[in-house]
Amino acid sequence: MSLRSEVYKTLGFTYRNFIITKRNFFTIFETLFWPVIGLISVGLMGVYLELNEERFAFILIGAVTLSVLQVSQLDVAYVLLFDIWSKSVRYTFATPISAWNMILGAWFFGIFRGLIAFSILFIAGEALFRVNILIPIPWLLLFLLGVFLSAMIIGVITCSLLLIFGYRAEIFAWTLSAIFMLICGIYYPVSMLPEPMRAFSYAIPLTHFLEFYRSFYGFETSFENPLLIGYLISLLALVVLVALYLWAFERARRRGTITQFSE
Amino acid sequence: MDAVKCDDVWMIYRSLFSKKVALKGVNLRIPKGEIFGLLGPNGAGKTTLVSIMATLLRQTRGKVEVLGMDSVRDAKEIRKRINIASGNPNLIWSLTVYENLRYYAMLYGIRDRRIVEDLIRDFELEEFRKVEFNKLSTGNKQKLILARAFINDPELVFLDEPTKGLDPPIARRLREKIVAMQRDRGTTVVLTTHYMSEAEMLCKKIAFINHGEIVAEGTKEDLKKMLKMRDKITIEIDAEIPEQKFQSFEGVFMVEKDGNSYTFYVDSVEKRLWDIAKEVANHGRIKNVVVREIDLEDVFNELAK
Repeated sequence: MSLRSEVYKTLGFTYRNFIITKRNFFTIFETLFWPVIGLISVGLMGVYLELNEERFAFILIGAVTLSVLQVSQLDVAYVLLFDIWSKSVRYTFATPISAWNMILGAWFFGIFRGLIAFSILFIAGEALFRVNILIPIPWLLLFLLGVFLSAMIIGVITCSLLLIFGYRAEIFAWTLSAIFMLICGIYYPVSMLPEPMRAFSYAIPLTHFLEFYRSFYGFETSFENPLLIGYLISLLALVVLVALYLWAFERARRRGTITQFSE
Repeated sequence: MDAVKCDDVWMIYRSLFSKKVALKGVNLRIPKGEIFGLLGPNGAGKTTLVSIMATLLRQTRGKVEVLGMDSVRDAKEIRKRINIASGNPNLIWSLTVYENLRYYAMLYGIRDRRIVEDLIRDFELEEFRKVEFNKLSTGNKQKLILARAFINDPELVFLDEPTKGLDPPIARRLREKIVAMQRDRGTTVVLTTHYMSEAEMLCKKIAFINHGEIVAEGTKEDLKKMLKMRDKITIEIDAEIPEQKFQSFEGVFMVEKDGNSYTFYVDSVEKRLWDIAKEVANHGRIKNVVVREIDLEDVFNELAK
């Protein structure tokens, strides 16, 4: 196995997602329109409620994170969805690619789109509401990497569900991130959640990444080192989820789902 | 050496409430360097068998060796050396001809863009290189699908009904391409098709599959010999003849009626023509007689019963 060849296979998916996004008005809309609408509506709510600067930053961080996560996780899910919609699944799986080639290739482009969304929202937040959510760059990058890892986790879950349940599972590409948001305290601290949900929220890495970001605005964290905990849970989750994805792929091979996707 | 070896291959599709047996203990050898035909009626198991050989499906039972490797254990290694094209031309819709080929080249770890350019030229797609897949004609889509199938210079290619639904001139051009690619590159081609003339023209050896089983296998001549009937005599007459009249005739295996035209499938035209013609003439005036050898279509019809 040559490393160069593996890199090229991985970049194949980045290339494909890039071209499709470039040509598809809908995906450009996803990156620009909805995130800005979300930020403006949350921002106006903050103005109406006369939130102080810290609390305003708290909810804007939530709105920005939600958009970045949604945009970049969609790219990972699209790695399979584009093929399903084009009925070309068999041609992709007939090539000597691995799960990592697919996931990483799509994820790279997800990072690119996520960074565009973040930059636009950062500028919009500053320009429209005079709220600065900039933290020291190294910490900001570590936070964003955490969000992108969470996006990869959601994307891999969606792809696995697609392989298990077929077309019916495509709805998860748009709903899973919303479920994650609800539990990880996107607009509120997780301490508000009822006990079983709160315990569950600690198992989600995004909870810890959000707490880490908000700690720069004086908010308390549930654990001492949220960034480290977030990364550890992310890596553990990815190992488990890639194993799930591989199992789902083998199951799809046994049941004929891959060929059905192409009919 | 065989390009593909299937030993007692079973495929059973299971869902919560149902079970469908698609392949029932298939045994098959596909020799290297030839165009091998896999024929059978709809739902016979052709696509399932091809998908297993192409590692897209995993058999429920049995062993499949592709290029000397195990189809389950060595699937990724096999995929580097094989490729597939189907008669349902579907690639990524919004990618152009060039982008689709470049994308798939990347998935094979191929950096050399000349390979993409050569295929565009070989398959006469130059003027469509910037056209998105969904805007191509069906013929050009199918050309692109075939070009894609040769992108990794595979040792073995599976072509699953590659000319399905195409106009005859385009289908003929594609057949010529398949032959040229196979001849120039020495690729083993496994072809499934509904068109008997296509199989007769392209394939050196053929296997018939029906109800998930290989029912016959060999060269075209072997297959024709397998059936005792060798010739068919078509007689047009100006009257009706009761079909049972000929059922007891020696050497007549089957009679087909189409209006006032009767086709007799016989073991030998030399031995049977005179007796049949004499009997037919007793019922009316013979208008026309055509005699010819049975073809693959007749073999197919007989085996598909």
